[in-house]
Amino acid sequence: MDVWRSIILKNLNLFAEGLWVTTQICVIAFCVACALGLGACLVRLYVRPLRLPATIYIEFCRNTPIYVQLLWVNYVWPDLFGWPQSFFAAGWMALALQSSGYLAETFRAGIEGVDRGHLQAAHSLGMSPFLTFRSIILPQALLNMAPSIMNQFLVLVKSSTLVSVIAVPDLMYQAMRLTAIWFQPIEILSFTAFLYILIVFCLSHAFKLYADRLRGRYGLAMA
Amino acid sequence: MESFKEAVDISLFWEYRSLLLGGLAFNFYTWISALVLVHVMGFSMCMMRLSRVGACRAVGTAYAELFRNTPEYILLTWVHFVLPLLLSVLLQTRLNFPPFLSAVLALGLAYSGYMVETYRSGIQAVPKGHIEAGRALGMSSIDITFRIVLPQAIRNVLPEMLNQMVSLFKATTLVSLIAVPDLLYNVVIVTQEEMRPLPLYTWAAIVYCVIIFTASTLVRWLTERWRSRGWA
Repeated sequence: MDVWRSIILKNLNLFAEGLWVTTQICVIAFCVACALGLGACLVRLYVRPLRLPATIYIEFCRNTPIYVQLLWVNYVWPDLFGWPQSFFAAGWMALALQSSGYLAETFRAGIEGVDRGHLQAAHSLGMSPFLTFRSIILPQALLNMAPSIMNQFLVLVKSSTLVSVIAVPDLMYQAMRLTAIWFQPIEILSFTAFLYILIVFCLSHAFKLYADRLRGRYGLAMA
Repeated sequence: MESFKEAVDISLFWEYRSLLLGGLAFNFYTWISALVLVHVMGFSMCMMRLSRVGACRAVGTAYAELFRNTPEYILLTWVHFVLPLLLSVLLQTRLNFPPFLSAVLALGLAYSGYMVETYRSGIQAVPKGHIEAGRALGMSSIDITFRIVLPQAIRNVLPEMLNQMVSLFKATTLVSLIAVPDLLYNVVIVTQEEMRPLPLYTWAAIVYCVIIFTASTLVRWLTERWRSRGWA
């Protein structure tokens, strides 16, 4: 209990700072991942000459372990592309890279899951391809994909612990630093584990409730 | 362009092939050992979760929720640094886990949480009528479980299980963080000696990608064959 009072309560601001960095990195990485994933998926589906590069990109992102990607982006990209120059940017880029591969496949499944008849109906009503995509495919696909997209966010939050390895000061990093300083791993690491479990648990239940509500409201039947 | 050539230059990677190959072997050892734990814990906790006794059900559910919601890295550090200390206090002896043991324990526990759910979805997909038929024929509940429910359940979820095994292999790279000398760990060591991160990290990424891509393609191909035979 002593350790609890003297280390954890006294350093709550460090934990809060770490949590804030974790939040930032997850949100940025997820937004970038959605953009990259959508791009890769659309290219793969609709731009025939670029299908192979897009497929290679998606498979590379999906099939390389996140930790390997993290080190690769952090140590190789600055020499190769001159970017990223900060650990923070390397952290979110690696997380985004990994998730974008999975999201691209999710988007593809969602788009391909839309009933062919709907497309033919839109076509025979004279809707342009863009209008068809925006008002027929996208709403239905989004509804189908919502659970997997939310799930991917959870995976991303869980992998975000790894960015501490390249010295991004996230929650995990602060915990390891405090452990190294005070040498009380039992309290510090258990408290951090508890925080992470709480966050992921709450998020996953909130997402599940939201998905159920979507299903109830729109009668989601296809997924 | 210069740096691109440097990145895909395989000669340095090739020079250290025996060391790196030995590392890759550690990935496989970790994988196989963790798999055993995943299936043992996953199956037994699933049985708890589906049991008729309320307390068992609570334990099974809590187990699955706990390990599904814990990031693998924090579980790894917790098992490696905290668990031995707790056990030392409990058993009144000084205890230290070798990194390999911690790695297997942590990965096994983390992925058994998913495996509980996989087993459960397979078991619940078995038609109730089959179980009732077994009971009507006077089979014991152990017989019903092992001869009627499980064979069908495993057939149902085999593709999903194989996918999870591939994910588990992906996760074995994490063990380098607690100094299990796997491929990535050796790559980091060699990088520190040679100061040439570009080819080493690039080729590490390519090697992992090729292995995992092959495995997941194989799983996909097998799944399609099973589906077309009406197995899964």
